[in-house]
Amino acid sequence: MLVLGIDTSGYANAIGVVDGERVLADFAFQTRNESLARIMLNIDSVLGENNLGLEDIGGFGVGLGPGSWTGIRIGVTVGKMLAYCTGKPVKGISTLEALAFCARDCQRLICAIVDAGARETIYAALYRSGHNGIHQVSDYYVGDLPGLAELVKEPITLVATDAQKYLSVLGQLLKSDAVEALETAPGGAVVALLAATRLESGENDDTLALAPLYLKESTARAFINKYKRRAQAVP
Amino acid sequence: MLVLGIETSCDETAAALVADGRTVLSNIIANQLDLHRKYGGVVPEIAARRHTELIGYVINEALDAGGKSLSDVQAVAVTAKQGLVGSLLVGVAAAKTLSYALRVPLVGVHHIEGHIFANLLSNPEIPLPHVCLTVSGGHTLLVYVRDHCRYEKLGGTVDDAAGEAFDKIAKFLGLGFPGGPAIDRLATKGNRKAFAFPRPLLKAKSFYFSFSGLKTAIINAFKHQLAGGEKLPFEDIAASFQEAVVEVLVAKTLRAARESGVSAISVTGGVSANRRLREVFTDTGDRESIKVYFPALSLCTDNAAMIAAAGHARLRRGYADDLSLDVIPNVPLEVQHAG
Repeated sequence: MLVLGIDTSGYANAIGVVDGERVLADFAFQTRNESLARIMLNIDSVLGENNLGLEDIGGFGVGLGPGSWTGIRIGVTVGKMLAYCTGKPVKGISTLEALAFCARDCQRLICAIVDAGARETIYAALYRSGHNGIHQVSDYYVGDLPGLAELVKEPITLVATDAQKYLSVLGQLLKSDAVEALETAPGGAVVALLAATRLESGENDDTLALAPLYLKESTARAFINKYKRRAQAVP
Repeated sequence: MLVLGIETSCDETAAALVADGRTVLSNIIANQLDLHRKYGGVVPEIAARRHTELIGYVINEALDAGGKSLSDVQAVAVTAKQGLVGSLLVGVAAAKTLSYALRVPLVGVHHIEGHIFANLLSNPEIPLPHVCLTVSGGHTLLVYVRDHCRYEKLGGTVDDAAGEAFDKIAKFLGLGFPGGPAIDRLATKGNRKAFAFPRPLLKAKSFYFSFSGLKTAIINAFKHQLAGGEKLPFEDIAASFQEAVVEVLVAKTLRAARESGVSAISVTGGVSANRRLREVFTDTGDRESIKVYFPALSLCTDNAAMIAAAGHARLRRGYADDLSLDVIPNVPLEVQHAG
């Protein structure tokens, strides 16, 4: 099955096309503030360079985040509407899983990290490689690096866009030889590969319900909830 | 031409089908008020998240309700200018994808231009040129409509929008959000002349409005009584406040019409649903032989039918956009017809 993968959770419009397990195209268009302006043109150029039309695509893979909230909304909306217009299935993929998948040949515990933007917060999850691909073995984590280090009890392979930044801190927190790093960005082809496997086994998402994986509530809601909790704490 | 309109500039996720810029086949609006009410206003991140969840369903519903399928859509119009950036972006991303996948023209519309067309949808007979006042929670703008898609700005607000003043006074009085309908209801039971609140910039020669000082004057006049637990004459405050806003809006817009030499005024936006505003505008207009038009109530607040109608007019004038269309959160209406 030909699957188009889109991930806009990072610094690029990442777009890839796979045919089952074979990667046909994998591009990351650096966008800065032009993700929305470029996205359709980027998709059109990736399809065009492979002599493909939208009608050739059998399904869609969409990176759901976590990552830039605004960025994810672009990819999710475009992916959802492409599936809706073509009547083809769509599968949302966690961007952390897509990152971890890049380290699928590693024997160590895989730790995928995405920068959460504010106050050195990160999104993370732990994965293990098995005969059927990779499997998530922890809950999603939102917090700081020391908190993450406490969850890790064994040598890890760290996967992130800015892995070197985390490597030095985590290396100090854990024993230094316990951490190795793989630096890679969310990729369109990886998202497409993961989606293709699931779509081929009939695991598609409800197209119109497809929604981002934010992992954090909006600041306003967090603020109100904090006050609610405080109010409840006061006898 | 069947145009699918999409509007997500603030807190309504909306899609509509309009045929030939005139006939509304469907007009679906998913309101997010319940999500924002406890904050006393629209929270941009919450609005953007909700738009992303709803956009597909709303578009699908617009097609269903209009009895059409995707293959019937001949163009896609979307609010791309003026609004919350995160909210606008969801609608534009959806519109671009539809345009690309269905191979139909795409046109970005300025949100205020949509409101101007809301009234033309309800009253196609409004003569050109005319003067249009758009009053809502986010906007207060007075323009000279020379022709469809050709606007000259006459004035606007220098601080709060008219609807924003309604919201803030309603919040102060504890009437909830949005404030417009609550004040409109309460004011019918109050005395409009109970308090002589200021009429900001009423005598000024310009066509600019200011509502921030009026709001502050009212809050300062009553905050001590309110804090002391005194029972305030809510109905009289609401009626007197509303009268002050209405008097300024009507007087300036009528003067703009006289000075521009037009015989018709169009009043649009959420505040144009206000009953007292309609009454005073119509009565004053009648005395001066100036006809005042208002949109159907369903088209006063944000909706996508007005965006489809504006998009249709723009396409007919050749102002189509390409797939690089982006959002512009803040741009004057009058400079945008250059496409």
